[in-house]
Amino acid sequence: MAPSTSVTVIGQGLPRIDGPKKVSGLAQYTSDHHFPGLLYAVPVTSTVAKGRITALDPRAALAMPGVVEVFHQGNFAGKLFRKQASKGKVDENRPPLSDNTVSYYGQYVALVIARTFEQATEAARAVKVEYASEPPNVSMRLAAEEKTSVDTERGDVDQAFTSAPVKIDQVYTTPVQTHNPIELHASVAVWNGEQFTLFETSQAVMNHQMVMAQMLGVQPQQVRIITEYLGSGFGGKLWPWTHATLAAAAARELGAPIKLVVDRAMMFQTVGHRTNTQQRIRLGATADGKLNCVSHDYLFHNARLDTYKENCGEATGFLYSTPNLRAAWSFARRDIAPPTSMRGPGAVPGLYALESGMNELAVALKMDPLQLRLANQPERDESLDLPFSSRHLTECLHTGAERFGWARRDPRPGSMRNEAGAVVGWGMAACSWMAKALPAKATVQLAANGRARVMCGTQDIGTGTYTVVAQMVAALTGLPLARIDVVIGDSSLPPGPMSGGSMATGSLVPAVQAATQAAIDEALQAAIEHDPRFAGKAPGALAFDQMQVSIKGEQGKAVLLQDILQAAHMDHVSGEGEGAGSAEAQKHYSQHSYGAHFVEVVWQPEIARLRVDRVVTVIDAGKVINPQTGRNQIEGAIMMGVGMALFEETEYDPRTGAPLNANLADYIVTTHADAPEVDITFLDYPDMTLNPLGARGIGEIGLAGIAAAITDAVRHATGVQVRDLPVRIEDLLDAPVGLAS
Amino acid sequence: MAKQKLQFSPDNPPLLPLSRRSVLQALGISSTAAVLGSGLAQAAGSAAAAPGDAAEPGAQILNMTVNGEPHSLKIDPRTTLLDALRERLQLTGTKKGCDHGQCGACTVQVNGRRVNSCLSLALMHEGDAISTIEGLGTPEQLHPMQAAFVEHDAYQCGYCTSGQIMSAVALANEPYGTSDSDIKEAMSGNICRCGAYSHILKAIKQARG
Ligand code: FES
Ligand code: FES
Repeated sequence: MAPSTSVTVIGQGLPRIDGPKKVSGLAQYTSDHHFPGLLYAVPVTSTVAKGRITALDPRAALAMPGVVEVFHQGNFAGKLFRKQASKGKVDENRPPLSDNTVSYYGQYVALVIARTFEQATEAARAVKVEYASEPPNVSMRLAAEEKTSVDTERGDVDQAFTSAPVKIDQVYTTPVQTHNPIELHASVAVWNGEQFTLFETSQAVMNHQMVMAQMLGVQPQQVRIITEYLGSGFGGKLWPWTHATLAAAAARELGAPIKLVVDRAMMFQTVGHRTNTQQRIRLGATADGKLNCVSHDYLFHNARLDTYKENCGEATGFLYSTPNLRAAWSFARRDIAPPTSMRGPGAVPGLYALESGMNELAVALKMDPLQLRLANQPERDESLDLPFSSRHLTECLHTGAERFGWARRDPRPGSMRNEAGAVVGWGMAACSWMAKALPAKATVQLAANGRARVMCGTQDIGTGTYTVVAQMVAALTGLPLARIDVVIGDSSLPPGPMSGGSMATGSLVPAVQAATQAAIDEALQAAIEHDPRFAGKAPGALAFDQMQVSIKGEQGKAVLLQDILQAAHMDHVSGEGEGAGSAEAQKHYSQHSYGAHFVEVVWQPEIARLRVDRVVTVIDAGKVINPQTGRNQIEGAIMMGVGMALFEETEYDPRTGAPLNANLADYIVTTHADAPEVDITFLDYPDMTLNPLGARGIGEIGLAGIAAAITDAVRHATGVQVRDLPVRIEDLLDAPVGLAS
Repeated sequence: MAKQKLQFSPDNPPLLPLSRRSVLQALGISSTAAVLGSGLAQAAGSAAAAPGDAAEPGAQILNMTVNGEPHSLKIDPRTTLLDALRERLQLTGTKKGCDHGQCGACTVQVNGRRVNSCLSLALMHEGDAISTIEGLGTPEQLHPMQAAFVEHDAYQCGYCTSGQIMSAVALANEPYGTSDSDIKEAMSGNICRCGAYSHILKAIKQARG
């Protein structure tokens, strides 16, 4: 039934449908919401990382102008509840203000409510808190303090490593990184006596609803979550944080709408971060570069009270062919706030280590790192013993090498110059990210006003969901995007997927397609029932194209659906659709996306200046529905990868446990001036095991592997192998001068 | 005054997002005519005193023009220009990303020059002409810079975008060169964590002609 003529809208780089609102300041983000009588909440945060509150005196704050209330353990405990383990996800389980213990620096110890933001801010400083504190442990040197678990194992790694003719054994570390979306986390909470309407910065409105209902002690139907626009999240906004529960409970207590905006320092304290990792990679190979063992042992830190896994071994089991392999992990607890998923959780630090190991092995083998990868491509997933659903890593490597000019690489460190005469270094790495889909539902309406409306409880975090969903509807209806209304970001809509794990798009395809098709079927039924020209026809005898109904073979006499509906006094026809997710397909296929990065850095030893100048990336992520928004995603991940390799690290004060560089001047992210020139290619092979369009997600894969490619390029330029991210200028000051040339 | 519980007006249950504009429209008040704060207090019809009245001791009068409209506000001297725009005038197109002058999300123009509005106290702008993203163009009639941002996909989440655009428009009047590296340098006060930099560069170059 799907008209083939309009399918071409899939794969077109159409401009975002939400663009005009975003560029004119009309897109409403969470903290933009305002209500009459709104009160402002500002948290008081703990100044110790480990200990107990011994005294809290709110009197001075309460006496200040405009202050309405100061909540603290003494008057707030019992207002919030713990959620049940199996229902919904949250990274910090302890309800805020529920007891007097402090387990990390910056933990909320009180909440000041005042009529204005200025009044609340000043009063928050006036709340006196005393602590009995102990010295915190925030050291980033980790030892396995918990039991060791194995992700995947085959053969005998230890024996194979011992006997390997060529091998490397190195430890790579990645620091704590903080998401730092430019939009601050925020909650605007409204309670009307029966129902919460919560404007939240959420990458997952459905989960947010489930968690908030439990923690507030109400029914899910009493909680509505709205995230119409999100100023990105990078994983940090996946699960609700304590400020959201505080704001909602305060709104209920005071009977007034509450706005709570987390400030930038708190963004480093109470809304998650990527754990640090410490990863030992042992690789063994034959003299001609065949891998005979891969060993990946990794550690990361966790908070005192909650347990999170940074799954660094995600791609280790299947990226290369080898008979002997093991990925195993443990962790250590620190007096630091709970970590959470950050863009490409697990695989991003994991592939930094594994791909750095591959680059060092290539050096040990005196082999081109590209050839080393090409020589070790597996036929099937040797970890799961399953066929790959759609794997084109070899083509990514070849295409990338060609676009980059890799064949001209002189392997001697410091041997290459650019046109300006500066030293350049070239490096490369492969990447991978899981391809998964979640169950999802959607509703599509085709209306008498000639428009379509698609509704789903998912959200657009900047990835382009509004637009790609409209494209899915356009492909089946023939409507231009301007006549498709996409309604998302509201938990009262049919349950949709979270925006995380690069799963939203692939999960939405089957649900939106099925809903659109169901609405089209309803449209044909309406034509048969209400339009004499189609009376008595079987639905199979009718055709639907470009919002017109016709009898098959008589397309010249097509009738506009809107005319049919108007004549029948119908506002719209609607259909529901559902996608089952990829759980079943995963039993039969190893589903992943792949890619390759090629990087050029420029090194000016005379002024110790290092910059990433040029990146060529080739991505195999299935069918790309919108190459313009898709390319933007990969490019953004590369920018974050430059930050990961060269700038980003959250540093903790060993005395107080405070994140020291908790602001955007000292936690450095890639700026415009740091941005390299980027060349991105999508291979565009549909993965039909995932959904009917063959689309996989693209939000995270670009960040996997890029840091390893950059550090390899740095080694190639300077002769210095950096294994502890980020690369610092001081690492390079001892770089051997006057290298090969 | 302080500690009594506040009741939300029962005849105005806030189940749907109400922008200031819709509140004022519902009351038949035009945004220019409404004296800010008192309009909202009426709309609330609640015990909650609105900012700008006796609940804000020390508040002072500020007269400034925003997007060509004169405004007279009674304002707490601690209020930044950013919070005055967002929380008092409900001009929320200007964003807060750091409140420390480190991200550029709050960029507006003061008398034609770009300024981080979070670093500037509102009361320092007596008599100034402020331009915000809302004054630049509308979805129906975009400013060429706005249109170029849409065409080149010069954003992802859109949160830094108002600041990028206000910065880019002001940049045209600054003594910077026009090479790519000049523009990149001059735009480096506006962080885009989504990393849409090359798209932003293309948009700026196109709009500058
Ligand atoms: S909010 Fe003003 S520079 Fe960040
Ligand atoms: S578009 Fe998200 S920060 Fe720039």
